[in-house]
Amino acid sequence: MTEIVHLGVIINIARNVVSLSRLQARDQDHGRRTTRSSGSPSCGPSASPRARGRMHGPGAVSLLAPPSTSKLPPGHSALLPPNELCFTFQISFDGIYANMRMVHILTSVVGSKCEVQVKDGGVYEGVFKTYSPKCDLVLDAAHRKTAESNAGPKREDIVESILFKSSDFVTVHFKDMDSNYARRDAFTDSAIIAKVNGEHKEKDLEPWDGGETTATEELEALETDVSNGWDPNDMFRYNEENYGVVSTYDSNLSSYTVPLERDNSEEFLKREARATQLAEEIESSAQYKARVALENDDRTEEEKYTAVQRNANEREGHGGNTRNLLYFRENKYIPPGQRNRDVLSWGSGRQNSPRMGQSGSGPSLSRSGSHTSDFSSNSGADQRVVNGGVPWPSPCPSPSSRPPSRYQSGPNSLPPRAATPTRPPSRPPSRPSRPPSHPSAHGSPAPVATMPKRMSSEGPPRMSPKAQRHPRGHRVSTGRGTISSGLEFVSHNTPGEASTAAVSRGGPSGGTWSSVVSGVPRLSPKTHRPRSPRQSTIGSTPSGPPLSSPQAGTIPTESATVPVPAASPTSASPASNRAVTPSGEAKDSRLQDQRQNSPAGNKENVKPSEASPNFAKPENKGVSPIVSEQRKQIDDLKKFKNDFRLQSSSAPDTVEQLLNKNREGEKSRDVIKEKTDSSSKESVIETSSSNTNSTSGSSKPNSPSISPASNSAEQKRGPEVTSQGVQTLGPGSKQEKEDKEEKKDASEQVRKSTLNPNAKEFNPRSFAQPKPSTTPTSPRPQAQASPSMVGHQQPTPVYSQSVCFAPNMMYPVPVSPGVQPLYPIPMTPMPVNQAKTYRAVSNMPQQRQDQHHQNTMMHPASAAGPPIVATPPAYSTQYVAYSPQQFPNQPLVQHVPHYQSQHPHVYSPVIQGNARMMAPPTHAQPGLVSSSAAQYGAHEQTHAMYACPKIPYSKETGPSFYFAISTGSLAQQYAHPNATLHPHPQHPQPSATPTGQQQSQHGGSHPAPSPVQHHQHQAAQALHLANPQQQSAIYHAGLAPTPPSMTPGSNTQSPQNSFPTAQQTVFTIHPSHVQPAYTNPPHMAHVPQAHVQSGMVPSHPTAHAPMMLMTTQPPGGPQAAIAQSALQPIPVSTTTHFPYMTHPSVQAHHQQQL
Amino acid sequence: MAAPGEYFSVGSQVSCRTCQEQRLQGEVVAFDYPSKMLALKCPSSSGKPNHADILLVNLQYVSEVEIINDRTETPPPLASLNVSKLANKARTEKEEKLSQAYAISAGVSLEGQQLFQTIHKTIKDCKWQEKNIVVMEEVVIAPPYQVENCKGKEGSALSHVRKIVEKHFRDVESQKVMQRSQAQQTQKETTLSS
Repeated sequence: MTEIVHLGVIINIARNVVSLSRLQARDQDHGRRTTRSSGSPSCGPSASPRARGRMHGPGAVSLLAPPSTSKLPPGHSALLPPNELCFTFQISFDGIYANMRMVHILTSVVGSKCEVQVKDGGVYEGVFKTYSPKCDLVLDAAHRKTAESNAGPKREDIVESILFKSSDFVTVHFKDMDSNYARRDAFTDSAIIAKVNGEHKEKDLEPWDGGETTATEELEALETDVSNGWDPNDMFRYNEENYGVVSTYDSNLSSYTVPLERDNSEEFLKREARATQLAEEIESSAQYKARVALENDDRTEEEKYTAVQRNANEREGHGGNTRNLLYFRENKYIPPGQRNRDVLSWGSGRQNSPRMGQSGSGPSLSRSGSHTSDFSSNSGADQRVVNGGVPWPSPCPSPSSRPPSRYQSGPNSLPPRAATPTRPPSRPPSRPSRPPSHPSAHGSPAPVATMPKRMSSEGPPRMSPKAQRHPRGHRVSTGRGTISSGLEFVSHNTPGEASTAAVSRGGPSGGTWSSVVSGVPRLSPKTHRPRSPRQSTIGSTPSGPPLSSPQAGTIPTESATVPVPAASPTSASPASNRAVTPSGEAKDSRLQDQRQNSPAGNKENVKPSEASPNFAKPENKGVSPIVSEQRKQIDDLKKFKNDFRLQSSSAPDTVEQLLNKNREGEKSRDVIKEKTDSSSKESVIETSSSNTNSTSGSSKPNSPSISPASNSAEQKRGPEVTSQGVQTLGPGSKQEKEDKEEKKDASEQVRKSTLNPNAKEFNPRSFAQPKPSTTPTSPRPQAQASPSMVGHQQPTPVYSQSVCFAPNMMYPVPVSPGVQPLYPIPMTPMPVNQAKTYRAVSNMPQQRQDQHHQNTMMHPASAAGPPIVATPPAYSTQYVAYSPQQFPNQPLVQHVPHYQSQHPHVYSPVIQGNARMMAPPTHAQPGLVSSSAAQYGAHEQTHAMYACPKIPYSKETGPSFYFAISTGSLAQQYAHPNATLHPHPQHPQPSATPTGQQQSQHGGSHPAPSPVQHHQHQAAQALHLANPQQQSAIYHAGLAPTPPSMTPGSNTQSPQNSFPTAQQTVFTIHPSHVQPAYTNPPHMAHVPQAHVQSGMVPSHPTAHAPMMLMTTQPPGGPQAAIAQSALQPIPVSTTTHFPYMTHPSVQAHHQQQL
Repeated sequence: MAAPGEYFSVGSQVSCRTCQEQRLQGEVVAFDYPSKMLALKCPSSSGKPNHADILLVNLQYVSEVEIINDRTETPPPLASLNVSKLANKARTEKEEKLSQAYAISAGVSLEGQQLFQTIHKTIKDCKWQEKNIVVMEEVVIAPPYQVENCKGKEGSALSHVRKIVEKHFRDVESQKVMQRSQAQQTQKETTLSS
């Protein structure tokens, strides 16, 4: 209920926002209209007639002129002197022309036959042509009537036209004139009624009483009555009886086909066997199933795209921090499309999309196919790519899919983003996050508003955690699957989360579903997707996740490790599933696995692995291993980077893991396996893509992948990887998707790593892109760097975190307005990069690079988008959301008890760390409080940023973790969880970075997906951008040396400055929101960072460029913000931040590179 | 004789007598004092509802102008007019008249002319060819323009034209009946009034 309410609130808020914008537009229009009307009134009613009169004047003259040459009847004076003509012209209102009524009546009879009686008694008949001011008349085709001529005139009697001077005629008789003939409004109600003879009185309206019971029943009967009109046979009979028409209709359609003649001939049997075989092939194909599933989908539009579905059990099931985390993830908004995709398609959705089919059919094939198709080739891929989640696209197939697609893709990431900002609060409540996903753009603000309530209420804690998680999950999903895979996974996950139900659903699609269910849930992406759609379904899973998260907290390491192992098993299982079940599952599982694996792998290998767990972030965080791993990861940073990507992808896994954790409890091993699988996948992908996943990723992933992935898995993974790669490549797309995924990105980063694996799979398809990704090494580095950075190197981590944050930020931004804008913009700016990325998405390497680029691109795009669209509002909204988040971090705790309660752990750590960071922001926020929710979003972002920085502050490593957490998990809940999750946070960060990339991509994708969100997203993006930058800057400052150097103080300050406005607003707006906002901000930050990171290694320049773009975008955002209110401060800060960001990002990249 | 400075208010019932000793009565629609032009709206001479005859009277040649009842109410606002529609009407009316004149000059009977008008309302693609009506270049209707006179290639066009011709004469017959009755009524009224 709370969720629904939240959603409603969010939606309302979104609507309000929209309405506001509309109102503004209207106002403008009104202004114009008023001015216009003011001018016109002078004309008055009489104007027209007169005007016509004037018209006639000239006309008359011209008409009169001819007459002069014409013959005139005897006894009639003739032509008008030229002088008169001139005179007429000059004095248009002269004579009868000045008599309005005379002009009107004479004009209304023009063209009518008339009889003119002249002084001598003669009568002339003709067509009244015109008249002069002196009432001289002109008749066309006139002839003199003779008494005897009853018949018509003869040709020779007719005169072309005759001019009668007013002094020559006595009367003019127009017969049978219809006064309404020439009326312009002849068809208006008043005109029609005016024709009615006699007294016309409207009948009194009588209330219709259809009876109590019969009414509804009858109405229902009418609706269900399929018999529309006549039965065909009745029609035939009627025509035959009444018209003698005999129908030749033959129900056998013998005219069109030939009946099948059965015989026992050998040939016939062969053909029959062949036909049967073909039929089986067709019917067994994933596409066929997916399409059939679509047609047979009993769910209503509401269920598919609108309703927030959450399983109370799952929610409640989540325990403690992990639960919260899980919750967040679960709660994360799953764009309706995603939900549907997840749920449905993953029943139908998947099927719909190639992925579906692929997933459904062979794991590898399905994955690869789907991924590839999604990412590499197709629009679907684009969508998916954009979204990051192919699944999204697949969902897109469904009606809502498109919006969702963006949303989905974006939503996944976006939801987090948007959700984050606004959602955070909203999410916390229940699944505001989901609503956010849709609303995300719009809703983000609303969520924020709602969020507080939620926060205060029950929902918030869970929501926030879940929301964060979800965001992460989304991010992760996007990140890993990046997108496509992630999406798929997400969707799958969702299904999975949805529970076996999904699986059962999958049943038809078979492996897909099952895989989806099993794998998907685990996969953060899936979770993300699920979140929105399946969150409800996820509910159960969420519970799992929460549990897992708790477990993660306590068991994190274990879980993480376990997950990995489990993942490997799982992956293996998935793989096996894949092998066994349709490839779809395998894919899903793989994807999930990859994600998970990546996360797991990351966690295991290094912190990144944990980071990958981001989804599992709670878990990971909770897991001490993370820290140790992180350190290890530091060593393995590069690997982590790779992993990170994987992680990013895995991030989703983390979410999934969270979900999985629940399952993990059950399936923890499986999850681990999956993770391992994912990692393995990632590794595979990486290996396959080699570059894409990056060495580290590959190395670690490889091991994992190898172990878990197993050969079969690998092959499948290969495809998946490619798909992931595509997704990763998708980075571009991912970026777009990242918008959606951004939220998830943090978590997804890990997943991204998985995504990378996917990318690898895709690589084959999109190798070109992947190859770029090789260059992508940088991408890998990015991904890896992000994860690794976070996990391994504190500074790097920080960066990665920051990146993650940026992504988060991005997400939020995208979610709100940015997303769509991002897409478009990213698209345009990105074209080169993105184009590759998107298309390349299929290609792993490119994906990464693309991702980075895309991220950057996205940012620019987002930036551009925001400015273009209603970025300001979005920004404001974002800011608002952000601020809330920020608040949550610091104030949130205070403001939002829920957060504390839910995220106490996280908060405490976060708070501590954040507190430092946050403190300024919060302070600022208070001041900002005045600002509206929109500002909150921004604030949140800023907060998130702060949070990230704070994290760094609190602990360098920890901070990084925090960042990762905050960013990855969406600052808020995640961040909170981070405390427990710290290890995870780091992982998240890595994932975040990936996520960040993804996020960025998501942002882009998201924007595209959700039109509505576009504005918000744009704005959000802009905000995010700004925030990210700020965050990044902050991060840099806080995080590490570079960051500090960047302007630890200044950056923070700047952020703070910006934050202050935002934060203030945020404070006022919603503390609860703050959390979401945080998450978002983190994402945002992550995104930038991610971009930077990604860009750093291979293409630092690009990264920088993106950064620049980002900066540029931020300005737009700021502008938007300014427009709103606190916007200005933000912009400034953002701009400043951006510079910082760029630098930090660069530094981060370098670190990552290191 | 209209008294100087005296105006006819729109809506007033006015009667007058022309120099041709023709009695006119109607509702004032417009009056232009400078040009001495008075526009009256009279009941339709054909008795059609929603239609009216418009008389433009030059008061210079009118006597015995009487205001039967004056109307002080504000006249209704004037509706805007579709000038282009009026212009089109003027053109088509002219063409019709010329076409009719052509037929008349060719010696076509009134019935033939009426039939032509009727067909022309439905099918624009019809023309005179001497005394024959050619419809759609397929069907030729020769005097006396009865259904059996419709000749041409058997087909839908011919059957369609025959339907039109058939209906035309049916309507003409009914119209004549009506006109007779109306004429009788009017005669009675005039006799009574006079």
